[in-house]
Amino acid sequence: MIIGRTRIELEPRLNSPRWLVLAVPLASVFLALSVGGIFLMLNGHSPVQTYSKLLSSGYTTFYGITDTLGLATPLICTGLAAAFAFRMNLFNIGEEGQMYLGMIGGAWAGIALADHLPALVAVPVVLAIGALTGGLWVLVPAVLRAKLGTSEIVSTLLLNYVALNLVNYFIFGSRGFFRDPSTSFPQGRAVSANARLGNFGTTNTYPTLVIAALLAIVLWWFIRNSNYGYETSVYADSPNTARYAGMNATRLTISVLLVSGALAGLGGAMYVVGPAGKVDPGLLQIGLGYAGIVVASLARYNFVAVVITAILFAGLRIGGAALQISSNPVPIAIAVVLQGSVLLFALGGEIFRRNRIRIRRTQPVVFSTKADA
Amino acid sequence: MTNASPEAAQGSHRVSGAALFALSARRVTKRFPGILANDRVDFDLAVGEVHTLLGENGAGKSTLASVLCGLYKPDEGAVLRNGTQVRLTSPRHGLLNGIAMVHQHFRLVDRFTVAENVVLGHRRLPFLLRASELESQVAEMAERFGLPIDPRATVGELSAGQRQRVEIVKALYQGAEILLLDEPTALLAPPEVEKLFETVRAMTATGKSVVFVSHKLGEVVDISDRITVMRDGRVTGSVKRGEADTRQLAELMVGRDINLARRLSRSAKGEPLLALDNVTLHRHGSDIVKKISLNVCAGEIVGVAGVSGNGQRELAELVTGLQVPSSGSITIREVSINGIGARQVRANGLAYVPEDRLGTGLAPSLTIVDNLVLTRTRGFFVNRRAAQVEAEDFITQLEIKTPSALTQTRKLSGGNAQKVLLAREIFSKGDQSRIIVVCSPTRGLDVGAVETVHKLLDEARSAGKAVLLISEDLDEVLTLADRILVLYRGEVVHEVNGISVDVEAVGHAMAGLS
Repeated sequence: MIIGRTRIELEPRLNSPRWLVLAVPLASVFLALSVGGIFLMLNGHSPVQTYSKLLSSGYTTFYGITDTLGLATPLICTGLAAAFAFRMNLFNIGEEGQMYLGMIGGAWAGIALADHLPALVAVPVVLAIGALTGGLWVLVPAVLRAKLGTSEIVSTLLLNYVALNLVNYFIFGSRGFFRDPSTSFPQGRAVSANARLGNFGTTNTYPTLVIAALLAIVLWWFIRNSNYGYETSVYADSPNTARYAGMNATRLTISVLLVSGALAGLGGAMYVVGPAGKVDPGLLQIGLGYAGIVVASLARYNFVAVVITAILFAGLRIGGAALQISSNPVPIAIAVVLQGSVLLFALGGEIFRRNRIRIRRTQPVVFSTKADA
Repeated sequence: MTNASPEAAQGSHRVSGAALFALSARRVTKRFPGILANDRVDFDLAVGEVHTLLGENGAGKSTLASVLCGLYKPDEGAVLRNGTQVRLTSPRHGLLNGIAMVHQHFRLVDRFTVAENVVLGHRRLPFLLRASELESQVAEMAERFGLPIDPRATVGELSAGQRQRVEIVKALYQGAEILLLDEPTALLAPPEVEKLFETVRAMTATGKSVVFVSHKLGEVVDISDRITVMRDGRVTGSVKRGEADTRQLAELMVGRDINLARRLSRSAKGEPLLALDNVTLHRHGSDIVKKISLNVCAGEIVGVAGVSGNGQRELAELVTGLQVPSSGSITIREVSINGIGARQVRANGLAYVPEDRLGTGLAPSLTIVDNLVLTRTRGFFVNRRAAQVEAEDFITQLEIKTPSALTQTRKLSGGNAQKVLLAREIFSKGDQSRIIVVCSPTRGLDVGAVETVHKLLDEARSAGKAVLLISEDLDEVLTLADRILVLYRGEVVHEVNGISVDVEAVGHAMAGLS
């Protein structure tokens, strides 16, 4: 770009300095808040007051933090699900639906199996079956992608709508297995008490948070050290190299998508084990599956970073919701605008991490032959 | 003239003193991140002249050509057209000044016809195109410069040589007076090269000027009126026709004495390790590899020569188990490897150095250590500690220039990346791999790296390994191979002992004339 005599150039960095890895996201958040501030002012709210309330409700008060951590728990799972697939360039955007299926599968196990199991085993079984159903939900897109090259973006996205209507059908459209038979009010049948985990004190945080965080660390370690992790890294970097080395691309593609679906399903099952205790259509309203994609890209597909970005993101949600409860409520849309701008700026900021900005003054040297001739 | 440095003023004097040059570069400097690609380069092209830019890969000659045609803007210095400074902002702007470049990798639309490609991007096209009219225009233009080409042919079906003709016709059609040819002979068989030279002579005869960018010393001496040699971004010398001495030019190119003669250490031939019997690969209705029979013995290098795209890649993939033959059998030590998969073929003692280094042989974003692990047997966990030790060994032994063993391979130069790849494949642990399939191992490498690669292959042969060398570089095959096969349209059309080679016959076979 040339402005007057100043030339602004982007130059690829050979190495990104470490401080930039932190500075770019921080600057992105700051800029996103500034953009959100404009919208707030247009709505007649003070940005400073609103943000301080948002921050305190989301992050600094005791119940704020615990609410945030509670919401972050399934979000970590869907974030890990997205990161696991996206780092392989497999764009599973069906975490939403896979999470619903995890909820359905988990609730089924909680209703049908948990009573016959000892308490210690019941919860892991519910979580495992939730993960399994989440994984199975992506089986068809995975096989189509691996065998026929069908775009997994389209197939996984469309299955989200199928899953959404499946949940609606179970609760509102039928009087089947998942619907509470004791009341005419449409709600899910409660799972066995065996299949639930108690919350911490009076908070909305559940022990599943610890499971999700540990899972992130285990995944990070596993991908770094295992042969499976190595093969996925090679395939992600260069499919031709993977083929050259005799790796089985079909098996890698299918397994990565299945694990991704299982992680999202696990998030749904954690919702059952924790706050919901049943198939709860409330999960359809908060879009934790789609948010998982945002969380994963903000974390640049690093599993441990997903935990942090999920908590930050959940805090924005909780804080945004709290802003509505006041004499002068801020529309929830503002919180959504903020989330959107954080993502936009963070992704845009990548340019500055990968490139160096050079500003040069162009000094035209005049060469002329006519003058001497 | 206020801003001009004294040297620059002198430079402009020189220009005004001599006859006007069609195109000149004055103190052109161009930087890329971490590289000074052109360092105060001066270059003059007279009208009607063939001026060759000679240099190794990475010497900066393609960069200079790109500056001259308007693709790159120089950081410092100037480009002069007929003695007047021009600031070219784009290749299109260059074209308006009569300057066109034919890139090494063609920029044509495969699905369009020749005529459509030629007129593509031309400024003054009518709103509705009349195909027959354009076709006759293109045919006439091609005829005039001795470029036989069917304007109605689809470009996707043409050979590399024919596509190049399309590019040249296109440049001429758009009014180019100056043609920059970047490595134009890289993809051509010897007879096609001769044809290209005829075209170049036909062009200069009508007053057009040609810049010929090449690293092939041998072939440029004939065609050039002048040769300017570049090394490390600088001009190291410039000689006129008749003054050129191959040895002297080579020294200017490399900066030291090099031995251009064939260096062979013959070793006794052992038992046959790899054998192909009537192997055919049938794809999309045609035989890409057709009834090939060959064997490679311990202690010999069998060279497969041929122009790119005649089934070399497929042959390599068949032998290495990446593709399954439609018919025929491939055996390693008399054990069939048909359909057992690349991993099993490797386990039977075969190593493979593919043509595409970064992107097939090596994973570009992974470290050297991780790339060494690639073709080793791995357990449930990856043992990087052993690979790290091995990597550091290779780095010292082969003088691989890298900050550390944990550097991403894409940050290495082509030669260093190739050393990593060769080291992994040739010196596999326990030395169990006895057959090595190598494809175009020196493509794009500078003379120093070429020497190392050839030495490694020579040593592998002396160590009793069986080497199948598939290369488009005929000189390389001639230098290394004990036996030479020529591949044309998937068939072996010529076979000759490596010691008594009739080079002309091999060249003819490569062009499908035998």
